[in-house]
Amino acid sequence: MKISMGKLADRAFLILLLGLIFLFIVYPIVSITAISFRGKDGFSLDYYKDILSGDNLTLIGNSLWVAASSSLISTFFSVTIALFAFACSKKTRRFIQNAAMMAMISPPFISSLAFIVLFGRRGLITRGLLGLSMNPYGPAAVILLQAIGGIAYGALMLIVALEQIDGYQIMAARDLGAKGSTVIRKIVLPSLWPGILSVFFVRFTMSLADFGTPIIVGGNFRVLATEAYLTAISTPHLGKAAAISILMVPSAMIAFYFYRNNMKAISESNVMKEGLEGEVRLKLPRSFTLFTGFCTGLYFLIIALKYGVTILSAFANTSGRSLQLTLDYFTRLSPNVYKSLLHSVIFSLLAGLLSSFIGIAISYYLERRKLPFMPVVEFITSLPYIIPGIFFGLGYVAAFSKQPLYLRGTATILISNYIFRQLTVSIKAANTAFKGISENVDRAGQDLGASPLSIFFRILLPQVKQSFTSSFITVFTSSMSAVGAIVFIISPGMSVASIELFQSTEVGEYGVASVQALFMIGIVAFVNLLALKLSKPKSAAKAKIKVQS
Amino acid sequence: MKKFLTTILVLVLLLVPVVSCKQEVPGSKTEATTVAEKAEDKTEAATEKATEATTEKAEEKPAAEETEEKKAEADSKNKDLEGTTLKVLLAYGGADASFPDFTAKTGIKVEFTSISTGKALAQIQAADGVSDADVWFGGGVDSYLAATDLGYLMQYDSEGRKAVADQYKDAEGYWTSLALVPAGFLVNTEVLEEKSLESPKTWEDLTDPKYEGELIMASPGISGTQYAILNGTLQALGEEKGWDLWKKIDANVTQYAQGGGEPGPKTCAGEFGIGILAITGGTYALESQYPVKVVVPEDYIPWTPAPIAIFKDAKNVEAAKLFVDYYLSKEGQESLREADARIMSREDVDVPKIMDTIDLSKLIKQDVTLFGAQRDDLLAQWDELVK
Repeated sequence: MKISMGKLADRAFLILLLGLIFLFIVYPIVSITAISFRGKDGFSLDYYKDILSGDNLTLIGNSLWVAASSSLISTFFSVTIALFAFACSKKTRRFIQNAAMMAMISPPFISSLAFIVLFGRRGLITRGLLGLSMNPYGPAAVILLQAIGGIAYGALMLIVALEQIDGYQIMAARDLGAKGSTVIRKIVLPSLWPGILSVFFVRFTMSLADFGTPIIVGGNFRVLATEAYLTAISTPHLGKAAAISILMVPSAMIAFYFYRNNMKAISESNVMKEGLEGEVRLKLPRSFTLFTGFCTGLYFLIIALKYGVTILSAFANTSGRSLQLTLDYFTRLSPNVYKSLLHSVIFSLLAGLLSSFIGIAISYYLERRKLPFMPVVEFITSLPYIIPGIFFGLGYVAAFSKQPLYLRGTATILISNYIFRQLTVSIKAANTAFKGISENVDRAGQDLGASPLSIFFRILLPQVKQSFTSSFITVFTSSMSAVGAIVFIISPGMSVASIELFQSTEVGEYGVASVQALFMIGIVAFVNLLALKLSKPKSAAKAKIKVQS
Repeated sequence: MKKFLTTILVLVLLLVPVVSCKQEVPGSKTEATTVAEKAEDKTEAATEKATEATTEKAEEKPAAEETEEKKAEADSKNKDLEGTTLKVLLAYGGADASFPDFTAKTGIKVEFTSISTGKALAQIQAADGVSDADVWFGGGVDSYLAATDLGYLMQYDSEGRKAVADQYKDAEGYWTSLALVPAGFLVNTEVLEEKSLESPKTWEDLTDPKYEGELIMASPGISGTQYAILNGTLQALGEEKGWDLWKKIDANVTQYAQGGGEPGPKTCAGEFGIGILAITGGTYALESQYPVKVVVPEDYIPWTPAPIAIFKDAKNVEAAKLFVDYYLSKEGQESLREADARIMSREDVDVPKIMDTIDLSKLIKQDVTLFGAQRDDLLAQWDELVK
């Protein structure tokens, strides 16, 4: 009887999870897709008739080559920074990691904004220093900014991957007389290769869906994502916008498939492989150290410049002949901005917690219990991440505007959008964590009579806190800066900071936008550091236990 | 882990009441409360004035009593609406500054979100016609025309519509213009000076090749304002002359902005020398912050109406009607004019001081209702032209 009660609870929990996924992922996506098939009188394929016309083909081409180039540059820099960090002492490495984390928290469009202030036709650098008057808008600017935006994430991922490389192998190679460059070529790069590919493909997916950067710095240059967005907001043909968005899905899915495959390769090759105690340092050829060091320095210089410009343009009018310091932009903030900021913080905190928890729970059924249908579920949870954000957001509007599921104007609709858009990240983090815990732990629990749910809640959950923290940080940070997915969900009295920032940037209120950005950067940095600090202690002792098991 | 969780929980628990019980927590003044507070201030001031008036002028007592009675009547009418919160989708820069006046008069609170009419229309379409707001305030008339066609708006024949000329309102009462927004140029005097160019005075001037690369305007396919400018000039000049004008202007434009809000700030920032845009009080206000000047074209002035409408599914219909009544009344129009200077739609409301140099006879005679029907055609021709 007791066992069946436990099983019942387990069933109920699983059904609850699946129900949530259906309600907040499948149903909205189906709803918005249905709109693209909705003509004046019922079902119609009107919006798909010209979908592969010349204009759209050009746009697909633009999207693909911009995404490819920006991810290539981004991946290249990620690799050099990661290698440089790996060749440095542990202290420097931690410093680089922290700096990369700081670089990641900047709200959307801040790069574009800084770019215009520095390199615009009246840019501080182009005109102020060099006396040029050039037009910086175009595909090159889009590629550059998307590339810079992705470097930090890639570098962090690759540093972790590098630390998991078998240290004995490197030492053995060195003992056998291999040169630093040979070690890199023969050992480090091959083990890192899946990681490099997954960085490339995840950037590729993100770049495809990015409509903000091309709108702000693209000039007349358009990609598929901007076209979908502009069609949605400037014509009364929402169905057409939905159809264009659907056009983006196949390429995103293919890229994401490669990403996932490579991620799998990484986690499988590193399972149960314990790194060498102490430091593994690469001895690199001088020229190599210089080169990677230069790239790292260049990158962080750009980031420092970006934050510097944001601070500068929050306090100064940069448009006139000379800089004028001002506090104007602070007084020009409407009271709405503070309210939205508060909304953002609360909703993102909740989303971070819930998304991490749901992610771990799903991963439990996927990775530990190995239920046969879970891979399908996992694929479904990755959809919100790879389809364009506005498409997912409009899906929420379409799905939750009718009773009994009327959620418009509530906090629930925003929070759930945050949670489920990033859920796949949480699941992935949990998958990796679960792989590091021996399955004998579960069996021991089972033998001692624990029900499946108490194994999950009382044995496994406490052991994956590292992954909990990291997915909390990811979800919190990206929720704070989410734009595409929620630009259509906000309603009177229920706005969030990232949208207010987008609006200020969109109309070119750069000063006010910089002030808003500073607030957001401050909050995200504070919460992330707090999360790291609180989850850190005692991890060493636990790791030991893990090894013994 | 536990510490981390509890801290976050505590944070959330602390913050939630701040949001939900806005009034109780000092220092967290949200928009609704500030509006209400301001409203209170105003009513206090009003009653003070009223008492002063009655004590000073005893002879006029009966008259004062009468008005008070009327006021009381109106009050009882609004009483059951007092405390309701009206939700507004706002695309009328600066208008929120006049909302406290409405709240002072009626006790109805106003919550709003700034959202371009294009985005709002996409949102409502996704929701299959259901809007979570009650009133649509300002923005591009073409969105209102599309929404009327799609059946998203509610007919309402407000009393104030009588004072608004026919060309500024929908014949069937789906929407009514609050104001007219003239279009013109914003020039960056520093930039033009540097390149020793004089500022353009007419649309014809913009065709001069010397301005090449200095001109920024929004794409009419995206910006309702720019679309209105295009349609208006075509109506005024006729197809042939009109397209010829735009062909030449296009030669001077290197890049089209992706929204009507962009040309202004980009001109202020000196990215471009001349911006084509809608001129409101906010545009004039830029003159004191940046080296820019507003130029109202001398040959003819395109304009676009800034409408107001009630959504079909409005939850606070009565409050929404009062709101529309207010903004179409002389009092409401004047309050709105103070918030952002525009040419108001009521014939008995004066042109704002800042705009009284504008020669109203130069406003293009146009049929706004054609904006919707011609849209797809015009934009297709436009795409051909800029190719």
